[in-house]
Formats: sequence, structure tokens, C-alpha cells
Amino acid sequence: MEVISSSTKAPFEQAFLKNLLLILQDRSSSTPFHAMSLHDRKLAVKSSADIAMAAARGGGARWPKAILPPATTVANSCKAQRCRRIIVRSKRLCGGNYKRKSSMVVVRRRTMALRKVVPGGDAIDMDEASLLREAMDYVVHLQAQVDVLRRVSEVVQAQSTSDLRCMAMVVIRDPGFVASIMLCKAGEESMDQDFDWFFDRSVREL
Amino acid sequence: MSSRRSRSRQSGSSRITDEQISDLVSKLQDLLPEARLRSNDRVPSSRVLQETCNYIRSLHREVDDLSERLSELLASSDMSSAQAAIIRSLLM
Repeated sequence: MEVISSSTKAPFEQAFLKNLLLILQDRSSSTPFHAMSLHDRKLAVKSSADIAMAAARGGGARWPKAILPPATTVANSCKAQRCRRIIVRSKRLCGGNYKRKSSMVVVRRRTMALRKVVPGGDAIDMDEASLLREAMDYVVHLQAQVDVLRRVSEVVQAQSTSDLRCMAMVVIRDPGFVASIMLCKAGEESMDQDFDWFFDRSVREL
Repeated sequence: MSSRRSRSRQSGSSRITDEQISDLVSKLQDLLPEARLRSNDRVPSSRVLQETCNYIRSLHREVDDLSERLSELLASSDMSSAQAAIIRSLLM
């Protein structure tokens, strides 16, 4: 089994987090979260998380393309000027590249359910071997997405309850995450250069 | 290489062997959390595929719940720049 070392996992999670913060910030600048309905708010966060995940994964698999419409990038999906940055991509979590087999369709009943849950799995030229590789890649990155979302929620929750002691504990565990969140909410004027500088600095400390 | 018969008789690089499939399936099995499959037992590949579907669906649900929780927190929290300064001083 290929071990996902922390050296390969961290870049994707950082890329995902950075994309997520960019998109969330952009969305809230056009409509503040508290002004949205419950349903719209949740959809906004979820779609931001999916776009951030797909953009961070990049072009080494097919499932990100199924999530992002063609010619959608983090830059394009952000209307604010600040968001037009280089999309943060990283190497895939599982090492190595794989060549896609030429279009031989091998349809088997037992893979039909899998095709439905993996984005892009129901493409006509997705043979079984490619589907299995896509599923593996997708599962690994889904796990990372869940992980990051959970930690982000913890940080925001700690901050919103104004419990500095709890915040300090989270900070000690994950300074990079907290730095990014805090700066994101600090105010728009100081955002731009501070964000990059602080983010990169925290990332180096990880 | 042993002479395993491939399912597909196409020429070129499109031949997908049973061995490749079962190798991919076992790698997939290793990704699933231990509670879902005992990884030292021989598990039929159809079971692995089924558990993978279940696992992906449960991960989707988790993302859903976390998105809801995060969206609630973002709506109600009110981050002032003073708090940001305090955190910055803790980190620096």
C-alpha cells in the first residue's frame, strides 16, 4: 500500500485551505453569510469546499474536471479583484502518475454503483481500471477535505465563543490554520499582502 | 510474466488483466477504514467495491454536515481586528 506521507499530504491540504479561504472570502464579499438563507449558506460553503478541493487536486485525475465546469478556475469563480491569483495546485497525495488506458469500455455490473459516486465515473470511456484508480484518488482527497473542514470549524468555533484558552490549544496544534483563518476575518484592507506573507510563513513552520 | 488470460482480447495497450484489477481492488481495500473491512482476510472484490461506495457516500455526508456547521459559524461569528491582533501576537 502506498503510504501517504505527511510531506505529500500537507501541500494538498494547504492548497485546499488556501483555495477555500479565497472562495469563501469572495462569496461573503458579495453577499454576507448572515444575509443568506440557511440553505443557501450551506450550499455556498459546500460548493466552495468542492471547488477548492478540485482546484487543489489539479489535472492529474479526471474527477476534478467533473466537479469544475470547463474553464472554471478559482480565479474565474471569484469576482473580486483580489481573487485573481494563481490557483494553488499541488502534487497528488498518492505518489506516481498513471497513463490512462485507450478507450476500451469494460462495463461490469458491480462497478455501476461506484460510477455514480465518483465524479466523472459515468463517462463513456471510463474503463474499470481507470474507475478504480479514480476512486482511490478521490477517496484520499475526500478524506483530506473532511479533515481540513473539521479543523477550520474548530478554529472558527473556538474564536466565536471567545474562549482564548481553547484557541491557544488549537494554535499550538496547528498555527498555520489559525493564522489563515484569523487573517481572513481580520479585515479587508490588511488582507492582501498579510495573507500571503502570513500564510507562507506559517506553512514553512508546518 | 505469467500467462494470465486477459478478459479483453484487444491489441495494443488497452488490455486490462484480471491481475491488474485485483491489484487495484486490494489497494482500494487498504484505503478503507478498518471498521469496514478486515484487511487481512480475503474479501471478494465486489464487497470492496460496495464498501467503497458506502464509504464515499458517508464522506459526502460528513462534508455536508461540516459545511452546514461551518456556514452557521461564519454567519454568527463576528471577528474584530482586535482579536486578530491578539492571535497574531500569540503566533509571532
